[in-house]
Amino acid sequence: MFRPKTSGFLLFLFLMSAVVIISIQRIQMTCEARDNEMNVRLKDIHQNIEQSLKNCYTTTVSLALSIDDEGVPQNFDLVGKKLLQSNPIASAIQLVPNGVIKYIYPIKGNEAAMNLDILGSNHLQEEAKKSIETQKIYFAGPLKLAQGGTGIVGRLPVYNGNKFWGFSAVVIKLENLLNVPVINLMDKSKYEFQFSKTNPISNKEEFFLPSKTDLYKSYYKYINIPDSDWNLYLIDKKPFAIYNEIIFRFFLGLIISIVLGVFTSKLLKKPKELELLLKEQEEKLLGNEMKFKSIFDQSAIGFALIDANSGDLIEANNKFCEMLDYTCDEIKEKGIVSLTHPEDLYKSTLNFKRLREGKIKEYSAEKRYITKSGKLIWLNLTVSRLWESNKKHSTNIVFIKDITLRKEALALIEKSETRFKSIFENSPLPLWEEDFSAVKNHLIELDLMNKNPEIVYSFFNENPEELYKCISLVKIIDVNNECLNLHKVKNKALLLENLNNLIDSESFDAIKQQLVAISQNVKQFSIDSRIKNMKGQYRDINLKWNIIEGYEDSLERVILSTQDITERKDSEKAILNSQQYIKSLVDTIDGIVWEYDIETLACNFISKKVKQILGYSVKEWMESPTFWQDHIHPEDRELALELSDSATKQKTNIDYEYRMITKSGEIVWIRDIAGFVFEGDKAVSCRGIMVDITLMKEAEKNLNHSLYLVTEQNQRLLNFSYIVSHNLRSHTSNIESIISLIESAESEDERNEMMHLLKSVSDSLDETMSHLNQVVNINTNISLMTTPLSLNTYITKTKDILSEQIHLNEVSFITNFPDDTVINYNPAYLESIIYNLISNAIRYRHPERKPVITIQCYKENNKDVIEISDNGIGIDLVRNGDKIFGMYKTFSNNKDSRGIGLFITKNQIEAMGGSISVYSEPNIGTTFKIHTK
Amino acid sequence: MKKKIIWIIDDDAIYQKIIEKIIKKSGVISSHTSFSNGNEAINTLKNTLEDNKQLPDIILLDINMPVMDGWEFMEEIKYLKSKIDKRIIIYMVSSSIAPEDKNKSKTFTDIYSYIPKPVSVNDLIAIVSNE
Repeated sequence: MFRPKTSGFLLFLFLMSAVVIISIQRIQMTCEARDNEMNVRLKDIHQNIEQSLKNCYTTTVSLALSIDDEGVPQNFDLVGKKLLQSNPIASAIQLVPNGVIKYIYPIKGNEAAMNLDILGSNHLQEEAKKSIETQKIYFAGPLKLAQGGTGIVGRLPVYNGNKFWGFSAVVIKLENLLNVPVINLMDKSKYEFQFSKTNPISNKEEFFLPSKTDLYKSYYKYINIPDSDWNLYLIDKKPFAIYNEIIFRFFLGLIISIVLGVFTSKLLKKPKELELLLKEQEEKLLGNEMKFKSIFDQSAIGFALIDANSGDLIEANNKFCEMLDYTCDEIKEKGIVSLTHPEDLYKSTLNFKRLREGKIKEYSAEKRYITKSGKLIWLNLTVSRLWESNKKHSTNIVFIKDITLRKEALALIEKSETRFKSIFENSPLPLWEEDFSAVKNHLIELDLMNKNPEIVYSFFNENPEELYKCISLVKIIDVNNECLNLHKVKNKALLLENLNNLIDSESFDAIKQQLVAISQNVKQFSIDSRIKNMKGQYRDINLKWNIIEGYEDSLERVILSTQDITERKDSEKAILNSQQYIKSLVDTIDGIVWEYDIETLACNFISKKVKQILGYSVKEWMESPTFWQDHIHPEDRELALELSDSATKQKTNIDYEYRMITKSGEIVWIRDIAGFVFEGDKAVSCRGIMVDITLMKEAEKNLNHSLYLVTEQNQRLLNFSYIVSHNLRSHTSNIESIISLIESAESEDERNEMMHLLKSVSDSLDETMSHLNQVVNINTNISLMTTPLSLNTYITKTKDILSEQIHLNEVSFITNFPDDTVINYNPAYLESIIYNLISNAIRYRHPERKPVITIQCYKENNKDVIEISDNGIGIDLVRNGDKIFGMYKTFSNNKDSRGIGLFITKNQIEAMGGSISVYSEPNIGTTFKIHTK
Repeated sequence: MKKKIIWIIDDDAIYQKIIEKIIKKSGVISSHTSFSNGNEAINTLKNTLEDNKQLPDIILLDINMPVMDGWEFMEEIKYLKSKIDKRIIIYMVSSSIAPEDKNKSKTFTDIYSYIPKPVSVNDLIAIVSNE
């Protein structure tokens, strides 16, 4: 048996196949009919046109016969008239000797064609030659006629004695050719007629009748006309019209197929559904019976049927038997009453009697029974009367549930509750059992639940009355003894009575925080707060609460602890005070106290002094792990890091100095003293202090400079003393020797000679004393007067003094400084210095060239520098560099060399706080640079 | 005692005259030559290297002199020593009491001794005797 849907579908397929086959056959038949009709019509047209053309052939042959043997037509007009009368479609006849139209009938209206050279015309000769080639009549055209209109020309080649004479031609207007009855009678709405010819020049098919139909997209039939290369087309104007009816019928068939298919399917379904319904009812009935049986037998609760009068067991299910550990028969034999605990028997009997008497309809009882093994079990019985229609009440049905475990659990819970109550009461922590449900409901009313915590907190700040309201809504279920101790009250009633007095304003913030927590559905909460006990003492507490499991939504049971942390807080405060004291102490130390972690090398602490000494804040220092090394002076960084690393590796104390760059870019000298903090044997951190020693360093620098000056002065004095000693001793030793020689002189002449020598020594000594005096004067002038001096004036002055030597030696000067250059100097010293250097330049001139002295003045390190260069003999500084400025140091054979000029010059410059340097090369020249202070 | 040839190298003209008188008085010097700086003495030395009769036995050398001082002379004579086949005793004679001059003279092994001016007749006799 097929299913209804399948049967319906198969019927649909069958009907559809029939519809398709019928449709295809219908299309074929319609097409054949159309082809037949078109063929018949086309054949008729063809026959009509062919007949017309044959008439034209006859006309041309008749016309050709009018040509005599000389090739001259006889009675042309008469013949022509008769021929035209016999051929109604011809509009003119022509004789065309040698391809030129020479004879036309009728001439009227055809004058334009006269003398037209057919064979000489490009577009006419092709078709004209075809008739010559075939020696048959050939219908040329359709073409534009010289005499006007469109027409065709039938040309028959005429031969005179086997020699081509010309053409006998007939001219037919196209409309005359096609004016046949068959075409005229044709249904124009259905068919269209077309006339074409393949252009002999372009080889393209040309159509001559106006048409709106695209031939190549239409259905058509055509036929070829001989002797002309014409095609006659018959075009079906509505080629797809035949399909419209077919499509309509096809869809009609499709709809009928679908309807019949669906109908069949529905029809077949009905008995099946009825069959299924029946089967379902049967199964349901069977199931109910089985279910009842299995419920009775396999139920988790016991069932029993009891005789309503005797109380005897009629039937019991397995579960009930299992509960008592007896078989059903054993229970029947022993009787229910004997298995009931004696203490529950009376109450059970009483209920049973009332049920039997109809005073109650059912009853429930929890009773104890004794099992086969003697074990006591608790059973919950629900006994009701079992009614059967039209029958007297005779049976009770009993539902039995074993509640032994529940009874035992209840006993355990009671025991446990007692124990937990004892724990609660005797807990060393103050405990509260509270109910926040009203508070939560009020928060819901205030639309504060799940709102931003800050909004909730602000609300209670701005609405203190709502805060009090919420406090009043907290229900205290119970408190333990430790609470009484904390609040210094004697009993719970007193505590609850005075609770409002115990809430101190200092605890308001903690209460607001709790309300915020409730609004955020927090399940656990902890906060440090403060309470006032009944004695008016403040106690710090740590308040914690947990919502008891199962009450997370309602908040009906919340357990709170308020641990007294007053002592801990006091200790913390003491520690905090101590820390603050140490911090304050550290911050007052005149140095940056710091601590680094050895493991992480992270800065643990930096004192506020960093702001004062380096200009950076503590935050700026702490934010950068490499702050310290980044701000060490670049010149000191490498050494400082090296020393620091070395100390860190060896865990030794370190005391070193380096420079750091302040925030404003200044340089600060730091003395860093650091040590390590050990925990056991392990160094955990490095602590130190960075002291600003910039002032000390500057003082040290000044001291060093002073020391340098003093040392230098001492050295100069010592040198000077040696010089003095040497110079004086050289004279005194000479005097001593001379005196000795005078004493031992053997003659007066000898004595006189010695005396003369003694005078020379005296003069020399005088000169030495004079030089020494000069030097002493220079060095003892502590505060030499300085004044702005025109350098140019002093150069000119020197030139004047030395004018004779300058002229004699042809000395030239180059001065590279502005005329108004001014130097702050001592006038006498400036004159002396310039004189000594210029006179030296002339004295030590090169023998082979004229002396050129260049004088420049410029700034170097913001100080005036006077530079005097010459092109003289130069000095070998390698040999004589150390004694060039020494007293009586000469290194040439120049008779004027005294070795005193440069010595005096150097002393004068140094006395003014400046310095002199020399650059020279033998045979090139010498440059002296005077650096002013 | 054989008389000695002595060279006095000193730029002090008065001292040169005095030492000539003392040489005469001492009677222990056969000939003496004075030079006003080290350079003159070195040049003469170079010309008389192989003539031991011309070469001095003793040189009294001043420190501070122009052109070539006593120290420079000592540096120059180092290069000529190998060419000289005669023992020349050099005394540094100076008015300087600077310790560095005295100490510096000790660094030259060719300097026999440092004698502070003035040089007496007895000193000269002692110098010759020491030789």
